[in-house]
Amino acid sequence: MSANVAQRKAHWVLAGLLLGQVVMMSYFARHPDSEQSVLRTWLMTPLSAVTQVADGIISTVTGWIAGYTDLRGARQENIELRERVEQLTGENNSLREKEAEYKVLRTQIALPQLASYTQIAANVVSRNPSLWFKRLIIDRGTADGVKLDMPVATGAGIVGRVIAVGPNFSTVQLITDKYAGAGAMLQNSREPGEVRGLGDEPYCELRSIPSTSVVEVGESVVTTGYDRIYPKGLLIGTVERLEPDPTATWHKIIIKPAAPVDRVEHVFVLLVEKKDLQVEELNR
Amino acid sequence: MQTFKIALTIFFALLLQMLLPNYLAFFKYIDLPLLVTVYFGLQRAPLLAMLVGVFAGIGGDAIMGGIPGVGGFSKTLIGYLVAIASIKLSLENPFARLAVVAVASAANTVLFAGLYLMLRQEHLAESVLPYATSLADFGKTIGWKALADTSTAILLFVALDRVFSEQAAARRMAIKRRFYE
Repeated sequence: MSANVAQRKAHWVLAGLLLGQVVMMSYFARHPDSEQSVLRTWLMTPLSAVTQVADGIISTVTGWIAGYTDLRGARQENIELRERVEQLTGENNSLREKEAEYKVLRTQIALPQLASYTQIAANVVSRNPSLWFKRLIIDRGTADGVKLDMPVATGAGIVGRVIAVGPNFSTVQLITDKYAGAGAMLQNSREPGEVRGLGDEPYCELRSIPSTSVVEVGESVVTTGYDRIYPKGLLIGTVERLEPDPTATWHKIIIKPAAPVDRVEHVFVLLVEKKDLQVEELNR
Repeated sequence: MQTFKIALTIFFALLLQMLLPNYLAFFKYIDLPLLVTVYFGLQRAPLLAMLVGVFAGIGGDAIMGGIPGVGGFSKTLIGYLVAIASIKLSLENPFARLAVVAVASAANTVLFAGLYLMLRQEHLAESVLPYATSLADFGKTIGWKALADTSTAILLFVALDRVFSEQAAARRMAIKRRFYE
């Protein structure tokens, strides 16, 4: 390209250089609310909106088809569910009674009341089936009050935590992600440890439990609240198996998450912040 | 050789920009990478001015700890606009060149702050652009920066004219050609 031709095409070069630098600056700039790159926020905000619409259409269509096929066994299932509702209502009443007693007892022995948190429902609009990361994208963001590090759960147990937030979406790191962790304890023995994701399989590992502790397969594992992300007492999962190693100081305990993290479609975001958990920690 | 000299000029501009504000507080009002960009813009070579703007700008972002690309964007654009203006208008007069520096300095400050605002990084803008916390202060900053950049340009352009004497000669030829045409 001769110098004259280059000069004549200078405006195209200018456009290319400016565009390159816009991409560069928006990649490096961190959004103040979410601490993720502005480029990602700019890209994800419209993409997330489109994904939500597409997810809505697909869910409606698959819902119609599933609704039709499900009708065949609906009568029998309805009877079974009614029985189940009866049973659960009884259990619920019993637990409410126990909760009331528990609150009274806490007051009597001068323990502060545990904080309660509001939660919002969210739909999973996308999954990130990367080899390295296990993440979900949900349709709630800063506009709904979601902030970084807020816990995400289902009725069954915790799913993970929010690691990036946009105006209308959030990225959730699953508890099975190999970089995920949570303060945890065995529900029966109250032995505290740490849950880590295994990444390549839908399980977690409970670490730092001394090999002298008695651990039973099927025992529940709950959060301790010490990580300042997950409030105390949330169910993580159950002990799936213990991998024996007589020479090890610690148990190698494999946990099966209580929430179906690999196929979850609806979740709750617990609107709890680190500062709330710090208060709870201080009270404790 | 010419390319090497240009690269060395950018390097020294960045080096001085990094060093001098530690010793002379007022030096933070001076933007040497911008002045180098404007100087090459005045050589009537848009491509060269843009490339100098890219390297000087991104280098400036790196040493100031700002977001890479913000200074590069503003200096690339300013380099291009100065080069186009110098082709279309008569900017060979020393006073015209200083006026270009003042306008370029103000435009650079506005672009710079605007880009930081657009990226919602006001906190960073305050650290890389001194005393820009309110609109009135920002106006004063533009004024002081334009004054500081223009004053520095008087000396810097003389020095650069000596270093790039061939380009200065070419510019003088352009003045004569324009005069006789």
